Amino acid sequence: MIWGIRTADMFFSIDPSDGLAIYDQIVRQVKFAVAGGAIRPGEMVPSVRELAKELAINPNTVARAYRELQAQGVLAAVRGTGLEVADGAPRHCRSQRVELIRTRLRQVLWEAKQSRLDPDEIRRLVEHELAAVEKQKV
Amino acid sequence: MDNVIRLKHVSKRYGSQIALNDVSLDVPPGVVFALLGENGAGKTTAIKTLLGLATPDAGSAEVLGLDSQRDGLAIRRRVGYVSERPMLYEWMTVAEIGWFTAGFYGDGYLPRYEGLVQQYGLPGGRKLKALSKGMRAKVALSLALAHEPQVLILDEPTSGLDTLVRREFLESMVDLAAAGRTVLLSSHQIGEVERVADIVAIMNHGRLVLVERLDALKEQIRELTVTLTDGASAPPTVRGEILRRRQRARQWQVLVRYLANEHLETLRGEPAIAELEARTPSLEEIFVAYLNDGREEPSPAPAQEVAAP
Repeated sequence: MIWGIRTADMFFSIDPSDGLAIYDQIVRQVKFAVAGGAIRPGEMVPSVRELAKELAINPNTVARAYRELQAQGVLAAVRGTGLEVADGAPRHCRSQRVELIRTRLRQVLWEAKQSRLDPDEIRRLVEHELAAVEKQKV
Repeated sequence: MDNVIRLKHVSKRYGSQIALNDVSLDVPPGVVFALLGENGAGKTTAIKTLLGLATPDAGSAEVLGLDSQRDGLAIRRRVGYVSERPMLYEWMTVAEIGWFTAGFYGDGYLPRYEGLVQQYGLPGGRKLKALSKGMRAKVALSLALAHEPQVLILDEPTSGLDTLVRREFLESMVDLAAAGRTVLLSSHQIGEVERVADIVAIMNHGRLVLVERLDALKEQIRELTVTLTDGASAPPTVRGEILRRRQRARQWQVLVRYLANEHLETLRGEPAIAELEARTPSLEEIFVAYLNDGREEPSPAPAQEVAAP
């Protein structure tokens, strides 16, 4: 068996003109990658310098995203080498993913209420759209 | 360490043209500092003043603690500088100009230059006059980087270059910043600045109208879209620094800095406001608003009283 550092392979897509701050976009994408199993506990994320260069974004922005992910327990420091995905991270990220979707859904529902749709109409709409998405998956 | 780059109350005019109007700025070490502004806003004059290539009418400039007027030569030797149209000895080849420039610097210069030339895929044997614009820019960047400067100054480095070369420039810039160096760049590629800058400064007609950390700026500024109820006639009173306000029928769009969250909630509760949306604008929208200087955009609706911000 070869002992070496496995750097997680993941794709980021950064849109600087998005209303969301760039560091926040990185935080979210790492969480989604962890939640979806694209990167697993024990795997290393790219170094600040590597990722900054790859995305052509400010290194302090990447560092800030990593600090945030560390503070939230998604990433953990490996002494002298860098950052890896923490042990309990996948479960934590999956529940965060639900929270994120919940927030978006709440916004849409609020908008629907503002435009004076009645609850039954909203429910029908949701069911209909959900069915359409399910069909697409097959 | 102290600020690496400093302008103190610098003014400069060319004939009747005011290039710099009482400009003061400080660039701390280890940041990417972006100077934004339209052509003729004073960006190049500011940079030339720092390098001792232009003499200010008033005020002073410093780079790495050296006075720009007295020690211009020493400054130019210690910083890496790439101008928009780099002046190169046209009859030299890519390899020759590296060898020539190495004479002014220490031992490590030539191998580092050759490494960069290889990294950028430049043809060493080709004469400079036969290079494309992108290649020339890469030669200029290689010459500027080969002495490992503490400070890199780039004046519109990517204007007129194709996407791939621009990307390489950005990557080099980012890599340098990651190594703790200071980068000052002037640009009107706002999308690029939004990616790489720590601090942005906006210049307009020789004046510095904004200096702020990019992340802080994005947290400070909101664009509100307010839809008024049928009966309402007065525009909404939004408290904060109003950067731009425009009206389409019963809707107002207000770009505001320093908007308090509590105030946003108060606005939502106002009976005259049917709907209120708040979003974070892009740097480009912020930039345009600053250049228009908070002035009201002409609206198709009949003139109305505007509440004081």
